[in-house]
Amino acid sequence: MIGVIFGVIVPYIAVAIFIAGVVYRILSWASSPVPLKIPTTGGQQKSFPFIKRTVYDRFDSPYTWWETAGRMLLEIFLFRSLLKNTRYYLDRVSQKDARWLWLFGILFHYSLLLVLIRHSRFFLEPVPSFVELLSEIEAFKGVFIPSVYMSGLAIVAALFLLWFRRIFLSRERTLSLPSDHFVLILLLAITISGNLMRYFFKADLFAVKELLMSLMALNITHAVEVANTIEPVFYVHFALASFLLAYFPFSKLMHAGGVFFSPTRNMPNDNRARRHVNPWDPADVPILAKGITVAGETYKSKKLDWETYYEMYRGQLEEIEEADYKIAPEEL
Amino acid sequence: MEDVAEKIEIKQKFPGWREMLKPVKKFEEGRLSYLSLPKQVNSDFFKMPFGDVERDFENLKLPENWKEIFLEALKDTLEKNRAFKLFMDICVRCGACADKCHYYIGTGDPKNMPVGRAELIRSVYRRYFTPAGKFLGEWAGARELTEDVLKELYYYAYQCSLCRRCSLFCPYGIDTAEIVWWLRRILSRVGVNQRFMTISIEASSRTGNHLGLLPGGMYGAIQQGLEELKDYTGLDLHTYINKRGADVLFVAPSADFFATPHWYVMLGYLLLFNELEQKYGLTITWSTYASEGGNFGSFHSYEAAQLLNSKIYKEAERLGVSFIIGGECGHMWRDKHQFINTMNLPPKHEEWKRFWENPDLGELAEGLRGVRFDSYASGEHGWIHILEFVAALLEHRKITVDKSRNDKWIATYHDPCNLARGMGLIEEPRYVLRNVMNNFYDMPEHTIKDKTYCCGGGGGMLAEELMDLRMRGAMPRMMAVRHVYRKYGVNILLTPCAIDKAQFPHALEYWKIPIEVGGPMEMVGNALVMTAFGEKPEDRKFDLRGEPLKEEGE
Repeated sequence: MIGVIFGVIVPYIAVAIFIAGVVYRILSWASSPVPLKIPTTGGQQKSFPFIKRTVYDRFDSPYTWWETAGRMLLEIFLFRSLLKNTRYYLDRVSQKDARWLWLFGILFHYSLLLVLIRHSRFFLEPVPSFVELLSEIEAFKGVFIPSVYMSGLAIVAALFLLWFRRIFLSRERTLSLPSDHFVLILLLAITISGNLMRYFFKADLFAVKELLMSLMALNITHAVEVANTIEPVFYVHFALASFLLAYFPFSKLMHAGGVFFSPTRNMPNDNRARRHVNPWDPADVPILAKGITVAGETYKSKKLDWETYYEMYRGQLEEIEEADYKIAPEEL
Repeated sequence: MEDVAEKIEIKQKFPGWREMLKPVKKFEEGRLSYLSLPKQVNSDFFKMPFGDVERDFENLKLPENWKEIFLEALKDTLEKNRAFKLFMDICVRCGACADKCHYYIGTGDPKNMPVGRAELIRSVYRRYFTPAGKFLGEWAGARELTEDVLKELYYYAYQCSLCRRCSLFCPYGIDTAEIVWWLRRILSRVGVNQRFMTISIEASSRTGNHLGLLPGGMYGAIQQGLEELKDYTGLDLHTYINKRGADVLFVAPSADFFATPHWYVMLGYLLLFNELEQKYGLTITWSTYASEGGNFGSFHSYEAAQLLNSKIYKEAERLGVSFIIGGECGHMWRDKHQFINTMNLPPKHEEWKRFWENPDLGELAEGLRGVRFDSYASGEHGWIHILEFVAALLEHRKITVDKSRNDKWIATYHDPCNLARGMGLIEEPRYVLRNVMNNFYDMPEHTIKDKTYCCGGGGGMLAEELMDLRMRGAMPRMMAVRHVYRKYGVNILLTPCAIDKAQFPHALEYWKIPIEVGGPMEMVGNALVMTAFGEKPEDRKFDLRGEPLKEEGE
């Protein structure tokens, strides 16, 4: 029974929620327009040829499409903004580098990447050779028996480190919500159960692969058959992972997709070369002069165009006209 | 500085997450902005919803269905602005931004951490717009919108100077300035506005500038500048105003017409314009209608920003100029670099189009040939910063300068937030300063350029009633200034930003750093040799402050 529920029904539901949720969230972000071109410029703008820009300036204050893409890639693969992190001390002028968050973050995310790549062996037949190779390298094959996967241990360590930040650092403790702890605990549960299964309470991995392959092939009858043969310990890991998938689209974990949409990062700093058009503002007449409607009532500001202005201050403007639009020191 | 205690204590507090969700009830003196009066937000030229009621903070007198209106405005914002929506969703509360905010460093108030500030509205967003918030409430970090929450939103939305320093360090580029800016817009929909900025917005929407200067007043101010210059240099100078057929329109923040030390920068502009006209025939005009470069609307809302910056392209078109030069101002350049040509249609008149087909100054004045703008600007925008302009003139040897005239100054340069993080104007001012003076030292690397600290008075925070907040917010910048003051004997802090120039004299006095404040154009004006008027480098006896260039006995 456990096998059918956690091996077949739950994963299907989880994957469905995951896909639908992620697609929904991405579409919902994409459906909101970008009214202004607002890159955060972290370096020298493109300027006259004699104003030199370093390679950092080109990525931190990108002007072309390529530079912007470079900025995004550096952000995604190297967490460049976190790498700039400093810590302010009240009692001194200098700031010390504080890149622990960057280190823990990188450790976690790259371990996760390796772990996911290793797990692809359960979904792919035949297993791609680079997956085999990568697994062998990170396990220092032959050194330990059975082989110990570094990423599996590193990810647990990184998660603990990230969690300790939230527990022991006062600022981080103050701003952590229950959901922030929850995600870390959930990920810890998944990774620890995975490791335990890997080294202590072995499950039949051939059966697991058969289950996943038949789930993917939508061969439900066979999936049910296989599911019932797998040890319950596997389902602890599997159910938690399914839950994570279903939880993903509704949580802050969506930062994985969101980072690509961030207008302060993915727009070039070329405002003065190319005009950005705001889809909801034709920009012909100021919106306030057209009037804004709140709770059924319209508030319209009078537009100060030149004619209105001239009428209002005619006397003074005529004096300027008489001076032939020229200002000179008064003759004494 | 009588409003701020001699000694301030930075009390760091670290409440639990539940406490963070509860609205604060105690509003510190010197950190709460006054609310707008009807004459500011119910004026003919600037009419805001429910602006006709006089409110005080004890009794907000909100419209009956304010909650509905607020949530409707929040929904509207989510639908209109991807950045806002995204920033509501993807924050992971990693804390990278926490100690990047000068107001947090200065106050220790946890809700002044950028993430804390954003969580104030995020928690309301979660309650009404996400399933988790709806069902799990507090446990999902969500909270009800109540009048206390609204007060708290106002209190903290107006303790942010929109400097974007947090955005630089955020791994997702979450920009608190964007969140706060649109939050202020939402607040304005239920009739809650900040007095300080709406005074200027209203004045600018009625007269063309923040100070409310009428055409005659502006004329008189510039005339006085020319008279002072005659005293200091002995030269008969002139300039143009509202002149049709001029080559260039010049737009400066209106503070330059009156305030000190802005005034010295104004004199610098005038010297430069005269030299260019006399030597090359390039005519530059001021305008009484487009008399404000700054834009306090850009602290309030998209619509208010647009209302104020809509005049300038229109004026460029009316006067038939070829391009626009903008003066020394910080937020002006966030507005002029990133906003103005989206909020308005760029000019289409003949002279403009002709110039931008081949944007070489030689097309306007033969002697200036070689100074080109097409490496980064186009007719779709048409603005050049005065310091970019001067940098180009220096590079192409179009003006003559005598560095030694600035020898009494040992300068450091403060990057205005918006120039650094909203535009990327970082090296041009340094290029200019290195060329017009001999003694120039930068502050420590983590406090300048893109990582620059706010002066503590930007984004509408220059109000008198916020003095405590301003002095605290200026602290990180002041510590960096003190460092170079002690190390190099710096005696002037240069900044091309009108708000900085108003804030720093107070802040330097409060933090007991006995140095002057000025703008780069003042140094340019000092060093500029008016060759077209027959001036020799050694002829100038006074600087633009009217003081002898060389100390007695040297």
